[in-house]
Amino acid sequence: MSKVEKNWLEWLVFAISLVLVAGTLGVLAYDGATMGDAPPSVEVKVGAPQERPHNFIVPVEVTNHGDETAEGVLVEVVLKQGEEERERSEFEIAFLPRRSTRQGWVAFKIDPRSVERMEARVLGYEKP
Amino acid sequence: MRCSPATSLQEYARGVAGGLLFSLPLLYTMEVWWTGFNAHPFRLLAYVLTTFLLLLGYNRYAGLRRDANFLEVAIDSIEEIGIGIVVAALMLWLLGRITFDLGANEIVGKIVIEAMTIAIGVSVGTAQFGGQGDNGTAADKRGVSNEESGERQIGGDDEGAGKDRGVEGDAETEVNFGGQLVIACCGAVLFAANVAPTEEIVMIAVESSVWKLIALMLFSLALGAMILYYIEFTGAKELVLKGDFKSVLFGALVTYAVALASSALILLFFGRFEGVALAVGLAQVVVLGVAATLGASAGRLLVQ
Repeated sequence: MSKVEKNWLEWLVFAISLVLVAGTLGVLAYDGATMGDAPPSVEVKVGAPQERPHNFIVPVEVTNHGDETAEGVLVEVVLKQGEEERERSEFEIAFLPRRSTRQGWVAFKIDPRSVERMEARVLGYEKP
Repeated sequence: MRCSPATSLQEYARGVAGGLLFSLPLLYTMEVWWTGFNAHPFRLLAYVLTTFLLLLGYNRYAGLRRDANFLEVAIDSIEEIGIGIVVAALMLWLLGRITFDLGANEIVGKIVIEAMTIAIGVSVGTAQFGGQGDNGTAADKRGVSNEESGERQIGGDDEGAGKDRGVEGDAETEVNFGGQLVIACCGAVLFAANVAPTEEIVMIAVESSVWKLIALMLFSLALGAMILYYIEFTGAKELVLKGDFKSVLFGALVTYAVALASSALILLFFGRFEGVALAVGLAQVVVLGVAATLGASAGRLLVQ
């Protein structure tokens, strides 16, 4: 095999490329080998309510702990006073990839701080 | 053969331009981003390896340095994927598709899926965007005589040889069947990949009647034959078997077969056959086959 002649820039680009390509293949292979096949498992966390000029909003953090993407994740937050339901809001996340987190807000007319508790849950999602 | 860093920088810049030009539609398509995190890592791995093989083939038969040995071809292919990864990461970040708070697998998936078409574009851009017209700097460019004359140095069937293209240098040309197949495949992938991930392909496939699909097939065949044998597309004369009705039919059929195979491969990669009836899968292949035929004929002649 004949000698490969390159200037320093070409060697540099090649070296970086080699690292990137090898790294990518390594990450994909590792990820694929260690990944299970658990269906989406979605956790919903609500943050502290904030007052806005026209309503009250509550930040919501939704995390998928499963190994599959969930599509069209419907999240619902209910404000409860004892067993009485005061207000209910929901929002949808288009895609929630495996092992990842998305954030959103739910909006309320009444102040969530004035009720006993907020109950957040995920209603359902599709397989993409 | 060594050239100055300034010249190679220029060459890399050409590659980046080509990469962006050919992958632009994919960078701006939602379905492609989604596939980045929906696809299983092993599927992405297979995608990288397939692209690498395609690049090896393209660089071997049509790249800037056709006389290069395997090691050089492999080095070039790795560089092209590397540039593809960097450009994909930069573009996706600029477009707000990757941010640092996303999961690692999502970021890697999106970059990989975009980087591969960019890499093919880089390869085509490096080979095609230089050379012609810049007489002054042409001399210090590597493999410049090959590049400008469209010369094939690979042996093989020599029909259509010896046509002069009227450009500088020797225009002794040989049609190499295997090489042409590889380049046709590259052209088909490059063009078909732009529409393959969209919902529209499924929609058309589901709504088309059998007669429409047959009409699409005949249209694709006629399109391929017209581009390769009738309209005198630049380069067609040298690169395609010329002649009687039989060889035209043969050429058009082979081109269409390559187009169908490429479109099936791309659809398979984008997961378009999952949970789909055989007839619908086949219909998708035929629908995408039109774009793939365009790539395998006109695209092939362009990227030579």
